[in-house]
Amino acid sequence: MTKIKAWAPYLVMYAIAFLWVIPTLWVAETAFKPNPDIFSIPPKWFPSRLTTAHIAQLFASWPFGRWLLNSLILASLVTAGSLFVSTLAAFSFARLQWRGRDAAFLTILVFMLLPLEVSVIPLYFMMIRFRLLNTIYGAALPMIALPIGVFLLRQFFLNIPRDLDDAARIDGCSSLGVLTRVIIPNSIPVFAAYGMYIFNYAWNEFFWSLICLRSAQKVTLPVGLRLIQGAFEINYGLITSAAFMASLPSLVVFLILRQRIIRGIALSSGIKG
Amino acid sequence: MKNKLTRFLYRHRGIEGIVYVLPFAALWGVFLAWPVGYGIYLSLFEWNPIKGSRFVGLENYVALFRDVRFLNALANTFKFAALAVPLILGLGLLFALMLWSWGRTRRGVGFVQAVLFFPYLLTVSTVAITWKWMFDPDFGLVTHAFKALKVPAPVFLTEPAWALPAIAFATAWWLSGYRMVVFQAGLGDIPQELFEVASIDGARFHHKFLHIILPLLKPALLFSLVLTIISAFRTFGQVLMMTEGGPGRSTEVLALYLYWTAFEYFKIGKAAASGVVLLVLTLILTLIGVKLLGLKSELQ
Repeated sequence: MTKIKAWAPYLVMYAIAFLWVIPTLWVAETAFKPNPDIFSIPPKWFPSRLTTAHIAQLFASWPFGRWLLNSLILASLVTAGSLFVSTLAAFSFARLQWRGRDAAFLTILVFMLLPLEVSVIPLYFMMIRFRLLNTIYGAALPMIALPIGVFLLRQFFLNIPRDLDDAARIDGCSSLGVLTRVIIPNSIPVFAAYGMYIFNYAWNEFFWSLICLRSAQKVTLPVGLRLIQGAFEINYGLITSAAFMASLPSLVVFLILRQRIIRGIALSSGIKG
Repeated sequence: MKNKLTRFLYRHRGIEGIVYVLPFAALWGVFLAWPVGYGIYLSLFEWNPIKGSRFVGLENYVALFRDVRFLNALANTFKFAALAVPLILGLGLLFALMLWSWGRTRRGVGFVQAVLFFPYLLTVSTVAITWKWMFDPDFGLVTHAFKALKVPAPVFLTEPAWALPAIAFATAWWLSGYRMVVFQAGLGDIPQELFEVASIDGARFHHKFLHIILPLLKPALLFSLVLTIISAFRTFGQVLMMTEGGPGRSTEVLALYLYWTAFEYFKIGKAAASGVVLLVLTLILTLIGVKLLGLKSELQ
């Protein structure tokens, strides 16, 4: 009896976890199933044989590798750019004195929670004029200066003791010296957390990318999946293999960095919720 | 002399501070603030690239609220939020409580947490493809499950009454793991002594939940509520990928309405107006949230 009591929580937790993972497993399995097995009633839990035909078809008919590269470039550009400009701005908001600083910070903050769907219309015309429509730069630029980045970094910088700044200044550091020698080395956890947040954000961004990226060679993975889906409504083997391949990078990164990612969310959850 | 010097330094420092903000401010201004402002401006015009746009004042808004399709999209947005938000928060809280109360003293729980969290890292397209396949009326796993239970399966994504709930469920599968992690962090911050004292006093789990967990988790819960509602209002990808707004227009939400109106019909003024409506709705919600949470003090 006590044994059952000890094991019941495990059973419940693993049952829920199993239910939660079924859709992903089912997609992964479908990606490697031959067509007759996909369209069988009742369902075939274990395929008669495994096939890579869908994946071969995917790479033959779509520039899937190109999409992967585009996504990688976009997410890297956004992450590097955002970390750079947000660090400088957050440092200024946290440590430097200037007139209108708090008003400027509040203005930026107001935009943190607003849905900016309306802005895609002007952005679309703007990117046409800048000749950035249908380029990775056009897709990346609106994602770099996110208010959440400045907010998170500033919050973290404020908690670094000012005595460290003062000591550095007495030793002859300029503001830039304080930033690079005191603030940045003490803020690695928040850089990691925000870096992962923004990378994931850019990697998964759909709405603006769909509008900005217009040709099959230029799109990122999420938009590419939409293209496949639009073209073959019922080819489940192909579409699930695309979904599976698109999720693979996230899965690998997650398996390696699981604790870090989850801790990063806990760290940034104070404001990001 | 000394006074002048300090003043000069002070001013110099002021310029320095602005220089540091400049790269961010420039990008933010050009790609975030200006487009929003220009979007509001556009919503006051009848857009016409050939004959030139005409200022129409609030006509676009009047037309919008007379447009059955827009009102339908507005209603669907609220319906979707009403379905998805409780599901996301409820599941997130349930999972967090489960891992918190059973997990601390047991090994092998990291795996459960990982599995529950992982869908959050998938792109919206993958989530949509996954659940479209799960809900497939002939070969989908959900349909098979209904058959196995000898219950007639609804045709989820092509039946008006079921399509929106089905999308809301897929969204909850996608996002509740993130909320779980947030709530876990909140639960971890509750001082352990409180529970020990309560246990000594003979409190049961539901007592602890009502009198310790809920009050102390309230800020995290309210904050998550506001953010989840906002993200529900902005829902776009799942709907586009799973139903394209159909069957009929029973799942057409605001963002999708804006997308079609702007980039299929090129009614730019009207689309901008619908975007402004979405903006204002969210602004109101955020302000209520700020009031409720006393968020302002936290932002200072």
